Amino acid sequence: MDAIIRTVKEFILTKFLPGEDPQSLTTSTPLISSGILDSLATLDLVAFLEDTYGIELAAHETDASRIGTLADIAKLVTSKGVVA
Amino acid sequence: MPPNLTGPAAPEDVLATTLVMTPAAPAPTEESAGAVLSGVEFGKTLVVLVQLGLAALVIRQFQLESRTFYNVFLLATGAFAIHAVLPLKHRLAFFALVSFAGIALVFGPRNGAMLVAVGLTLIATCHLPVRFSVRVALLLAMTVVLALSRAGTLPPIVAGEVWPILGSMFMFRLAVYLHALKHDPTPPTVARTLAYFFMLPNVCYPLFPVVDYTTFTRTHYDTDASEIHQRGTKWITRGLLHLLLYRFVYLHLSLDVTAIRSLGDVVQAILATFFLYLRVSGQFHLIAGILHLFGFNLPETHRLYYLASSITDYWRRINIYWKDFMMKLAFYPSFFRLRRMGGDRTALIWSTIVVFAATWLLHSYQWFWLRSVFPVTAPDLLFWALLGGLVVVNSLRETKRGRKRTLKADKTAWSASLALRVAGTFTLLAVLWSLWSTESIIDWLWMWHQAATVQPRDLLLIAILLAIGLAIGGVVWDAPLAAKKGPTPWYLRPDVRTTGVLAALLVIRIPTVQDRGGERVAGVLRSLESTALNSRDRALQQKGYYEKLDNRGGLSMQLWNVVQQQPPGLLSLSDTKMYRTRANDFLGYDLQPLSEGVIQGKKETTNRWGMRDRDYTLDKPAGTLRIALTGPSFTMGTGVEDNETYDAYLETKLNEDASAPAHYEVLNFGVAAYSILHQMRMLDDRVYRFHPDVVVLTDGRLPDGPIVSHLTRAVGQITVGAYPELDSILRKAGISDFPGHGPPLPIAWLRRAAKALGVPVRMPEREVALRANTALDDVVAWSFRHMAQEARAHGAVPVFMDGAFPTDSTGPDTPMMRHAREAGFLVVSLADIWNGQPRDEFMVAPWDPHPNARGMQKIADGLYRQLRLHDAQAHLFHNN
Repeated sequence: MDAIIRTVKEFILTKFLPGEDPQSLTTSTPLISSGILDSLATLDLVAFLEDTYGIELAAHETDASRIGTLADIAKLVTSKGVVA
Repeated sequence: MPPNLTGPAAPEDVLATTLVMTPAAPAPTEESAGAVLSGVEFGKTLVVLVQLGLAALVIRQFQLESRTFYNVFLLATGAFAIHAVLPLKHRLAFFALVSFAGIALVFGPRNGAMLVAVGLTLIATCHLPVRFSVRVALLLAMTVVLALSRAGTLPPIVAGEVWPILGSMFMFRLAVYLHALKHDPTPPTVARTLAYFFMLPNVCYPLFPVVDYTTFTRTHYDTDASEIHQRGTKWITRGLLHLLLYRFVYLHLSLDVTAIRSLGDVVQAILATFFLYLRVSGQFHLIAGILHLFGFNLPETHRLYYLASSITDYWRRINIYWKDFMMKLAFYPSFFRLRRMGGDRTALIWSTIVVFAATWLLHSYQWFWLRSVFPVTAPDLLFWALLGGLVVVNSLRETKRGRKRTLKADKTAWSASLALRVAGTFTLLAVLWSLWSTESIIDWLWMWHQAATVQPRDLLLIAILLAIGLAIGGVVWDAPLAAKKGPTPWYLRPDVRTTGVLAALLVIRIPTVQDRGGERVAGVLRSLESTALNSRDRALQQKGYYEKLDNRGGLSMQLWNVVQQQPPGLLSLSDTKMYRTRANDFLGYDLQPLSEGVIQGKKETTNRWGMRDRDYTLDKPAGTLRIALTGPSFTMGTGVEDNETYDAYLETKLNEDASAPAHYEVLNFGVAAYSILHQMRMLDDRVYRFHPDVVVLTDGRLPDGPIVSHLTRAVGQITVGAYPELDSILRKAGISDFPGHGPPLPIAWLRRAAKALGVPVRMPEREVALRANTALDDVVAWSFRHMAQEARAHGAVPVFMDGAFPTDSTGPDTPMMRHAREAGFLVVSLADIWNGQPRDEFMVAPWDPHPNARGMQKIADGLYRQLRLHDAQAHLFHNN
């Protein structure tokens, strides 16, 4: 789980928040309601998760309850059978 | 309560949608909170209650929103006090019960029960033990039946006033709920489902944010309860501020296209139109704030949308719930399907197009449930097409270049690049918004045509606005995390700020405080205290423009709120046999002689001359003085019985005066919706045949729309030729090629080009109206001169009576009074007769400001006094 969180966090910091303090992005930072993950960024994240973990995500899995925080994303990835 | 629809052996998609009667395992926060409030929590709850009390006072003092909303707000406040001390596990069910109480409070037991019954049927259908696709098909079929009933094709299923609320509760939420049933692993509970569909604030808001079911469920008490409640009062306060700002814009800044004369006016009209949206954002803040009081920690509905830095950014900030709804049900499903076929770029383009096409159609769909009309207009189509196109382009650009995001806002830093982007986006959107809000494309083009007139002060205004826009736009005002620089001072704490703002609003309501700002500031502050209509809407209301149902789609929200209170089934003049068309006469229409009808619920009859009056001989009896009255509906007596018109009262009063030297007859030539031009024609057509000694004209206070409508119709029917001078004024205003032949084509040079190519075209009717409007002052001045001359020539004293509407207030001469005075009329104003008493005591109904019988009596008394006072000119009491 922690490994997934680290990987996704690095992706989000590099891709969407360059120059921001990594300490500011915690496992519970709201990603969607805060505007970090807008619709286009969500599509980027989906592509990243699918490529990195070899999983396939469905449209309804872009919901805030599933990718709303780093913790949610890790939970979603592991629910697809990825071993953390 | 809907049945527990647990089915027998069922496919997986059926089992997933079973409603359970007990809540799912409560979240840790719910368990840990317990039933008893700690001392600190009790204190915080008391603060919230104090804030809600202040907010209720603000709502009442400023008459914000409707009386219904005020009652619902009081209910919410009382319910919050109980809710806050209940164990968390019971709070959701309690909220559902309060929501039902709200429905009963607003609609009464019978209509409320019908709303709930229809709603429960729809919800139960979502849970039928059949395949998901069958349930969707059944719901679609039920929607068609409800729509046919709403449109009047089928008998009404619910009462007229219930439709907008029923529609707003279910038209979008059903789709969201079905989506959750299909995809969310947690089964819904009965309490949660009922709370979701019937949520309390919805009962007084037909225009309601599309709350997402999953978010509604997920955020319920997902953090500290006091924090959620405090956020609720903060948003309620913000909503009230938005509504007050909206009222200021509506009353003091908004401009009708017909009033636009220069570039400065264009800028004002565009900005005002854009800022009118504050009403929606204000209402949505109030709604979300009230939901927070009951633990629903929902995200913001709007976030600094006037400070968007790109079109895409704007789409993300304005009406966020709608954006999320579209993302969930249109964008992502389309994208995930299309990317398999054509790759990410193509999928992105087409998914965005799907979103904006759906938004356009669903706006009309929403309008249908609210107003029973399905508007499909060119400005609407053009607006959504342009906005969608711009978002596509911007999204592709963002995909390529990325978008800078930040976690912390530094409000002390200013960026020129950001300032320019914000100012540019704001300008573009304000212009697009003006296109969306215009009545027609011709109106919008006409507005820009007026921008060619530039005055130095217009340029100064633009420079000042630009400087303000750049100064504000260059700062990042919001970010996910607040940039903390030490502890927050006490005066910046959310509870202190919210309480302070509410208290400040109450302070500026105190007259002595208002007067300290000077007469002008005090006047503006007082204007914010009631739900008054602006001058354009007031004129429309007085003229009865709204009485035709097909006009209702285009009414402003403010006027619509008044109009919709009117009970159904009331007829206007043109619906009765009393209405007689005079197509070949400049008059256009008048009253059918010896006819009767029920108008606005009152029986009206006409005499053999087509007057709503008792019978009179054509020849004036010896020893009799005659007063002829002309005017619109309030002179005809709309809303009162035959013997309750002010002409009847005046005649009685004059003849009861023992000191009067003659017998008096007061003849009523009033006809509903008559403009000053109709009255001119009525005088020429028949009034002088009755040998009046005095003719009294009455009208609204501004040369306005009804005169333009009359002129447009007269030009179209070529009856304006009866008055060559009037015809000449209209030609000078550029009116030509109308009625003409061929299709309508706006803009003179385009018509010239078409004609040069041998294509017959004509001026669009709307352009005729807009051009006639530019000549309105000349038309009115000429008509008053004509009437004064003709009256004198026929031995009658011309009198113009102002202020006969209970909503009229005293003040300087109105434009109509000035025109009348300059033409030689005796001008009298009755506006002071309404002072010092509640105006609604003299009105037919809250939705109808026409004078009632008491109002008519007051007008008769007022006019009598004025005629006595000015007898040196009127010659009615000392007939020398």
